[in-house]
Amino acid sequence: MQVNLMDFWPRIWEATYQTLLMVGISLLAATLIGLPLGIILVVTRQGGLLENKPVFNAFSTVVNFFRSIPFIILLVAILPFTRFVVGSSIGTAAAVVPLVIFSAPYIARLVESSLLEVKPGVIEAAEAMGASPWQIIRRVYIPEGLSSIVLNLTIATIGLVGASAMAGFVGGGGLGDLAISYGYQRFETDIMIATVLLLVLIVQITQTIGNFASKKIRRQ
Amino acid sequence: MIQFEKVSKVYQHNGNDLRAVDGVDFTVHKGEIFGVIGFSGAGKSTLIRLVNLLERPTEGRVLVNGEDLTQLPKPDLRKVRKRIGMIFQHFNLLESKTVHHNVAFPLSLSGTPKKEVDQRVNEILEFVGLSDKAKQYPEELSGGQKQRVGIARALATSPDILLCDEATSALDPETTKSILKLLQKVRDEYGITILMITHEMNVVREVCDRIAVMESGKVIEKGSIFDLFSNPQHPTTQNFVRTVMENDIPASILNGIEERGASRNIYRVTFVDESAGQPVLSQVAKKFDVEVNVLFGQITELQGIPFGHLVVELQGEDQEVLRVINHIQQTVSVQEVTSNAG
Ligand SMILES: Nc1ncnc2c1ncn2[C@@H]1O[C@H](COP(=O)(O)OP(=O)(O)O)[C@@H](O)[C@H]1O
Ligand SMILES: [Mg+2]
Repeated sequence: MQVNLMDFWPRIWEATYQTLLMVGISLLAATLIGLPLGIILVVTRQGGLLENKPVFNAFSTVVNFFRSIPFIILLVAILPFTRFVVGSSIGTAAAVVPLVIFSAPYIARLVESSLLEVKPGVIEAAEAMGASPWQIIRRVYIPEGLSSIVLNLTIATIGLVGASAMAGFVGGGGLGDLAISYGYQRFETDIMIATVLLLVLIVQITQTIGNFASKKIRRQ
Repeated sequence: MIQFEKVSKVYQHNGNDLRAVDGVDFTVHKGEIFGVIGFSGAGKSTLIRLVNLLERPTEGRVLVNGEDLTQLPKPDLRKVRKRIGMIFQHFNLLESKTVHHNVAFPLSLSGTPKKEVDQRVNEILEFVGLSDKAKQYPEELSGGQKQRVGIARALATSPDILLCDEATSALDPETTKSILKLLQKVRDEYGITILMITHEMNVVREVCDRIAVMESGKVIEKGSIFDLFSNPQHPTTQNFVRTVMENDIPASILNGIEERGASRNIYRVTFVDESAGQPVLSQVAKKFDVEVNVLFGQITELQGIPFGHLVVELQGEDQEVLRVINHIQQTVSVQEVTSNAG
């Protein structure tokens, strides 16, 4: 049975909305987890502000562990946990849980690398001025690294858009799901093209906003 | 006032002890500009970082205004650090903040009210001559301007000590001069004690009251700038002096001395300020029965005062020459020069 693209628009819009919702919520939650993790990784490392080898090793190992699991496996593996958190193991909300667990450690590493770009001399100058470790994190590391963090979060967002395409496995919906279930499995080429174009558009817009925001932050 | 009391800093390097600072013992007096000079790796940065405890001494003590900072709990140490300004070779400014906010930074750390901060920042930017740059970002400034921001930031909390780690080493000679002038103004107007480290002799020559020469973690020589320039003892010190003032008599002149025979009366006359040197020698030529033949000379400036030496040949009777030496020794220092010793 052939589906008319025009008739299909409401489904496409709904899928777009689901994708944006999944990506947006996951990004927010993953950043809330990943940012502090990234900071912990930077300050506890050797020669760091609050050097602490056991803490660094523990966090670093956990981050590596989750980063080494392919998303599609993670998605299935944590189903019980997902059910525990959102009360259901299917639907858009259920897709958010694995997306967060997938991207939070990634964001932690990206934040870590952004903060490591902050010149050690600047940190040292703040120490010499009598800044406390917390003041250095909040008033030196974060503002000095923010432009780079934003650029890196853009990369993470685009990664999330890609991962969210697999959310169909848990009935998460979204553009990727649509492309697979109609475009691929039912050979609806029009719908395939339309959804892929929309994904391309979302990625383009995300990157443009990210670049702009990063540049703006650098010079304010 | 900063007192180094037999201070050492030992690092572990491939299982061996590396004595980056080794038994350093000297005092920097209040209101003094004290320079530490040494080649790269001599331990200068480690030494200066011992003052505000960016590094902790392994042995000995450092007293800042009579206080041993290692004894302080962390919050108190932070308070004391606000009384010790520091500037750096690469400025270390916050790139994401304007000049104004960079200078305001140390004040805002202690929760100073905004009005007070703004007033202080304006005042200090005026002092360093950057009032018109308050709204600009560090990357829009030249090296010299960045260091002025660094100085303004260091002075914002009205410290009584300023530590300068190679503060002019990334700057060209002209800019270096202007920054050194500014540091002198800091000392003269605020009475701030300045400890500066550098590997450049022309920097210490310009502004330092006293200097210490460091090598392999040790202070190998120290004294007033005039002492070290007129009479450097250690070969390293002599090398440093040579970087700004050629002490050796050029070979061509030495050869000339040899050719003209053995019994020559050649002397090195070292003088400070313009009242010595030339006038003394021209008087000699009038007063005594000798000819004064200047073979070689070098003049430089130490803290704005001419300083140098002339190598002269005194032609005349030996008796008369001795009388001349006795006479001029009252105002200048005189050393005999032989053809095989500079
Ligand atoms: N944190 C450190 N760990 C190990 N060795 C160090 C450390 N800091 C400095 N050093 C060593 O101490 C010596 C003196 O260094 P430094 O004080 O930076 O010299 P300078 O400032 O005179 O160039 C060098 O050999 C350097 O490699
Ligand atoms: Mg150094």
